[in-house]
Amino acid sequence: MIREEIKKKISDIVGPENALDSNLDRFTYSYDASFVPLLPANKPDLVVRPLTTEEVSKLMAIAYEHEIPVTPRGIASGRTGGSVPLKGGISLSLDRMTKVVELDEKNMMVTAEAGVRTFDLYNFCAAKGLFYPPDPASWKFSTIGGNVAENAGGMRAVKYGVTSDYVMGLEVVLADGTVLQTGGKAIKNVTGYDLVSLFTGSEGTLGVITKVLLKLIPMPKKRGTLQIMFRTLDDGCMTIHKMLQSNIVPATAEIMDRTCLEAVARHRKMDLAPAIGASIVIEIDGEDDKALETQAKQIEAVAKECGSVEFRIAQSQQESDELWAIRRGLSSAVAGLAPNRLGEDISVPRDALPEVVRRIRSIAEKYKLPIAVYGHAGDGNLHPSILCDLSNHEEAERVHQAVEEIFKAALAVGGTLSGEHGIGITKRPYITLALGEAGVKTLKAVKQALDPKGILNPGKIW
Amino acid sequence: MHKTTDNKLLQDAKKNVSQCDRCGTCLPVCPLFEAKGVETSSARGKNTIARALAEGGIEPTPDVLAAVNFCLLCRACVETCPSKIKTDEAMINVRQYLINRTGGPSVKYKAIGSFLKNRGMVKIAAGTLSILRKLGLNSVFPDGMVPEEYTRAHFLAAFAGPAALGKKVLPSDVAVTATTKVAYFKGCGMRMMFPKASDETLKILKTTTRVMLKNNVCCGMPHLAHGLRDEFLALAKKNIRLYEDAEVVVCDCASCGGALKHIASYFNEDPEWKDQAATFSRKVMDLTEYLVKVGYTPRQKVDTTFTYHDPCHLVRGQGIEKQPRDLLKATGKFVEMKEADTCCAGAGTFHMDYPDISSKIIEKKRQNIEGTGAAIVVTGCPGCLIQLTKAAKASGGKFKPMHISQVI
Repeated sequence: MIREEIKKKISDIVGPENALDSNLDRFTYSYDASFVPLLPANKPDLVVRPLTTEEVSKLMAIAYEHEIPVTPRGIASGRTGGSVPLKGGISLSLDRMTKVVELDEKNMMVTAEAGVRTFDLYNFCAAKGLFYPPDPASWKFSTIGGNVAENAGGMRAVKYGVTSDYVMGLEVVLADGTVLQTGGKAIKNVTGYDLVSLFTGSEGTLGVITKVLLKLIPMPKKRGTLQIMFRTLDDGCMTIHKMLQSNIVPATAEIMDRTCLEAVARHRKMDLAPAIGASIVIEIDGEDDKALETQAKQIEAVAKECGSVEFRIAQSQQESDELWAIRRGLSSAVAGLAPNRLGEDISVPRDALPEVVRRIRSIAEKYKLPIAVYGHAGDGNLHPSILCDLSNHEEAERVHQAVEEIFKAALAVGGTLSGEHGIGITKRPYITLALGEAGVKTLKAVKQALDPKGILNPGKIW
Repeated sequence: MHKTTDNKLLQDAKKNVSQCDRCGTCLPVCPLFEAKGVETSSARGKNTIARALAEGGIEPTPDVLAAVNFCLLCRACVETCPSKIKTDEAMINVRQYLINRTGGPSVKYKAIGSFLKNRGMVKIAAGTLSILRKLGLNSVFPDGMVPEEYTRAHFLAAFAGPAALGKKVLPSDVAVTATTKVAYFKGCGMRMMFPKASDETLKILKTTTRVMLKNNVCCGMPHLAHGLRDEFLALAKKNIRLYEDAEVVVCDCASCGGALKHIASYFNEDPEWKDQAATFSRKVMDLTEYLVKVGYTPRQKVDTTFTYHDPCHLVRGQGIEKQPRDLLKATGKFVEMKEADTCCAGAGTFHMDYPDISSKIIEKKRQNIEGTGAAIVVTGCPGCLIQLTKAAKASGGKFKPMHISQVI
């Protein structure tokens, strides 16, 4: 509970319409896009929507003084409960901070406030011929601050890397309200600890990211989309290996198994040929049509060698948009197949992908649970989704065992718990398994140094 | 009182919204979330509220009704949702549930409901809108709401010009068999607020066939949307009976058409009405849908630039977006506006209940219309026409809003 006089102080800072404490508003700021149950609701005591860094700083000073938990939030599209205010207190919603502060065309960098939607930022830069590549599936609604705080990935990682590969500098409000500027436009920079990397992916537990400075690259002039169908997932994975080994690097290479394709077919009211067991959707980019044509031909040859059964090049922008809409909506379309869907986010060395999928298949059989598998085959980041009904207690027990075995399978082949969603609440029980005692102890030491009162996003990561 | 029905309403809503995995895809397309920015006003927010209500996490208090009432039923979220969660249906069910529990809808919605249910009153109102004020409904239909209507005569005078008028209007080359029985459904909004547009619809229909005229009652959409489901069902039955002998029912109001086409789904579990309702819904067509089907040629070609605003209940409610555009392209120059299918925030009585939010949304629509440079913005819904009239006023007369039957 936050005392009325403290609420009053906060509401004086951000304005009464931006300090919400009605029961319904507290409820709608209690969830995110994870499978953390909706009820009982993890309601904050107060929702605060600041407009400026100064407001955030003043608010943090108050929270620090009175030891009020603060959970930063972008648009709450995270998949692991990162923005769920587990211990009540303040839900700090940064979605009003939507200014693009500067586009530095010469240095090819952009500065934006935390609440800018990633897609809007992408379009803003694209208008000047500059490219911000990271494109998490949620990019049309997720915020850049959230993307940086979770170190979001996306489909283009295979060629262009993830969010952290583009973060050059940050403005962070620390636990006590101090405003920290770290990093900058100098490309080489080894002055002091690399705090930019420390805060990137810190899930709101070390500070509140209010501004980001991002590196951009020139926009590829042409893009093309290919869809290849295979009898098995192995054939698809093999195709991707061979492509990368022969220096054909697609911008994205997304794989979906039969269960996913059925979900899509059901949604789009299409028929799916019985022989098809997997599909890869590939985006290629380059300087001109000829470059795309060459890549497409090379890919077609490799795919054929690996036993592809169908090869399609999107003939129009619309066709290509449709293919990507299918992929982007897949997570939710798969979720629609069963009352509950537990989507995981394991990441493994690329060559271990077929092996981990085989292990997931046998886990699915062992626990008699349908598991849809899709993900970023180009970089080894997979999203196995267990389709289940958690209201059935016996089934729920099997699901939890299966999840644990999936994590163990990922670790056994040299992989890790999360590629791009973060740990948040949902993967917390497995963190020691992945990092070891020494690893977790080091995380805690960092946390203790930066947030001694433990008010920033408490209850997350470990 | 209606305990079982109540629970069913809530369970239906739950079945629907429990498929929502809260991903957030609907957030950037929800016009109310864009205008207000608070999660509670978004489609995702309202769906989770509905789910929590059904699962016992939220009490059925008046603020919950206020939250679910704050929805345009525009279906923008449904369209974009990867799981196709029907937020509009969930909101209608939850509104009805809450209203049944709390002892009926607000006096205002009841007044509108019983007013629209009464054909005689609607007709009188069409003759003289002052009756609304006499009925004490002036807060419901405030003065400013009854829009100025631009007539087809205005349109021809202003845009067709003498040259265009001088040309002989080509006869329509429609081939309709003499036996096709086509009837017109005259909605309350068209009758009361845009009678001239309604006359034009009839004239157009008459060039294609012999039109059956019926003394139809309200489609029931306003009743359904505001927790008067029994009235909706009663009206639906009357209309079903009334149009038994028609083979096609043409409607020039997006909301009426949408409601009539969906009647079937509300009688699914009614053995007596199920088949009749399905037959009825199948024969309903939007005016543009019908005209394209019969190969209608616009009465004249003019040197005017049109743009088109998609009514929610046409584009997402009935999947009609190509037909009106094709008809407009055959009439004059056509320029597509930005976000043509974004709700204008008319939404029945929404614009009266939430004037501030509604103005904010229509302001953006005005900018998008002006961006096209079009002289006329065309639509197919009286609710949208009211909003577009406000936008036209705000633009200082840069464009005029018209119903599609007035220009083609």
